[in-house]
Amino acid sequence: MHPATPPTANAPAARGHRTLHRRGLLRITAAMVALPLVLGATACGGDEEPSTDPNAKVELSIFWWGGEARAKLTEEALALYTAKHPNVTFKKTWQANQGYFDKLATLTAGGDAPDIFQIDDNYLTEYASRNTTLDLTKYKDEGKLDVSKFPKSLYEYGVVDGKFAGVAFGENTQGLVYNKSLLQKHSLPEPTTGMTWEAFIAWAANASKVTKVPGTMDPSADYKALWVWLRQQGKDLYKGKELGFTADDVTKWFELWKGARDQGATPTADVIHEGNATDITKQLVVTGKAGTSFVWANQMPELKKNTKDELGVIAYPGDPSAQWARASMYFSVFGKSKKADVAVDVINFLANDPEAGKVLGTDRGLPSNLDVRKTVSDSVNDPAMKQSIQVSNDLGTKFGPSPQVPLKGHSKVRSELIKFAEEVQYGRQQPAQAAAAYFEAAKAAIA
Amino acid sequence: MALTTAPNPTPPARETVRASAKSRRPGRTRHGEGLAGYVFLSPWLLGLMAVTAIPMLLSLYLSFTNYDILTDLSDVEWVGLANYERMFTADPSYWHAVQVTLSFGLIAVPLKLAAALGVALLLNRAWRGVGLFRGLFYLPSLLGGSVALAIVWVSMFNRDGAFNSFLSLFGIEGKPWVNDPDWSLETLMVLAIWQFGAPMVIFLAGLKQVPTELYEAAAVDGANKLRQFLNITLPMLSPVIFFNLVLETINGFQGFTAAFVLSNGTGGPVDSTLMYTLNLYITGFTELEMGYASAMAWVFLVAIALITVVFFSTGRFWVHYSDGDGN
Repeated sequence: MHPATPPTANAPAARGHRTLHRRGLLRITAAMVALPLVLGATACGGDEEPSTDPNAKVELSIFWWGGEARAKLTEEALALYTAKHPNVTFKKTWQANQGYFDKLATLTAGGDAPDIFQIDDNYLTEYASRNTTLDLTKYKDEGKLDVSKFPKSLYEYGVVDGKFAGVAFGENTQGLVYNKSLLQKHSLPEPTTGMTWEAFIAWAANASKVTKVPGTMDPSADYKALWVWLRQQGKDLYKGKELGFTADDVTKWFELWKGARDQGATPTADVIHEGNATDITKQLVVTGKAGTSFVWANQMPELKKNTKDELGVIAYPGDPSAQWARASMYFSVFGKSKKADVAVDVINFLANDPEAGKVLGTDRGLPSNLDVRKTVSDSVNDPAMKQSIQVSNDLGTKFGPSPQVPLKGHSKVRSELIKFAEEVQYGRQQPAQAAAAYFEAAKAAIA
Repeated sequence: MALTTAPNPTPPARETVRASAKSRRPGRTRHGEGLAGYVFLSPWLLGLMAVTAIPMLLSLYLSFTNYDILTDLSDVEWVGLANYERMFTADPSYWHAVQVTLSFGLIAVPLKLAAALGVALLLNRAWRGVGLFRGLFYLPSLLGGSVALAIVWVSMFNRDGAFNSFLSLFGIEGKPWVNDPDWSLETLMVLAIWQFGAPMVIFLAGLKQVPTELYEAAAVDGANKLRQFLNITLPMLSPVIFFNLVLETINGFQGFTAAFVLSNGTGGPVDSTLMYTLNLYITGFTELEMGYASAMAWVFLVAIALITVVFFSTGRFWVHYSDGDGN
């Protein structure tokens, strides 16, 4: 930094102590400059070079979202892997869904993404198209990653533009969860799969009248409810690189729910707003603010933990063949992971090993491996898991074909739907006006 | 004379020491002192460079690119002014966020300063236990941008919250304040105003500086309390008012935490709490458009700088520095 001119060159002897002083200062300065560089260098050197020795010590980082129950099961399953491969240990991080993808993106930007991370179809395309996820095709072809026991559609759901980006870790479908205890207390009939939307809304309006609790959550801001409804109308959320619906379709959807609110079938707008949060603990069926919630079927056990009431689950209203076997979530490997081989082996183990499968149960949905799925269904003890297996199997017979994986910009398509549906719910905009604005915003989001 | 000098034999000696110290220092001494200064400064300086200056310059560069967080920095594409163009011509939610932020700043900041000044005037008297009250009023602002406070606020001002229970004592039916798009931003304003402690303490310090003779003279001349306030307190306090105004305006426009917590990070209901910084965060981290978000950040920086310049240039018309008057 500072020119190291020999300070003694023309200095009189009297300044001897000062020279020392100056040297000291220079040393301190040098140390202060060097220290962060050294620290930075060690931080960068944290990733060891890939080793050819199969028994070399490896620490894999793994990141997922979920509740405490999922954390416990996942940690147990990973411990099984470590028991078989003592050289492999895990750095486990998990958190709630809220904020998960913000953090994952930030970690990726810092080049410090976890070796293995959980992801869902809301972001899979975004990550796969930027090669943030490793293309696993090679491992599949070499037999190191076995998906032969997966239903074909479930495996293909993790393939984006020819790249095998994520290994499905569970199959699930849309589930309408209702408060059984509340209905029984008032001797009301339970809703049934296959009811039309109109019949369901009439049922909910009656339930509100009798129980004094709004019969159903208003799902007009919920993309997955709109999606199922669109498919029942012969449309879809996406078609190729375009939207699969028109502004008119959205108008009809918004009007359907405006009618429901007018009949008193749904709560007030501010309560619906609370239910529009993705957080499981805020779903109205568990907070007691409505009789039903529109969720994913595999969320049943987690929902049950948050309420004392008995819950039931059926398909969304309308023709159930509009629903599909969705990969609830995936595990992906970071594209630049230096430990990719081991990471793939861990994913292979978690997906296909019967013991690991038993531990994981149906927390992420029905196990993807059909053999494991059978073992789990035969041996599971947890009543909530039993129920979700039963329901998924029942519904499974009625499924239609899967839609394409959502396009890039999907998260904005979802958040804009919440905004414009709420404009209608709060009575600030008419359905047609909000639907037109939503259509434009959604089109811009995927452009 | 002898009496005064005799007990103090040291001053001359000290002089000598100082003189000799001086004579020992050649021209390079200044350089040495400067160096030492930088060494002592270096922890902060390095921090500033690493966590502020370099990322800031990087974000200026990124604002001209399509950087999306996931892509490597080396692979970003230069898009020229496209991000800035989009902001000004094709993004309604950007302008909505600007509007939300402006109305928040224009209402909350003056009210907060008024509250701070009002309470400072009350606490400037020599009451028993006034120190306790000063502490209590200062307390909320210590909690600052805390997440915990925002969570408490949400639970106080939702439909079943404490505030509505209080209203129901008087037979008034409350609203779901935080979940009502017509009231959610107002709820945030009240939170900001309630945290008036920091400017209040500064006002208090300013009030202590006003010479009491001025009030005495005014009282002798028959000026009442209001006149004294308008003609003495306000002008004498104007530098402090100016300082607080600049600081609180900058803070107010940057409000983030409370809006983030209240809306679960969405700016809802119906974008009613979509503050500028929250919109920027969502754009960058949720929608992964970090290049565009960087452009927003730079426009924000320039806008705040402009507002500050306006304050400073109008300041000379209303800010009265007493020591500038040949004091």
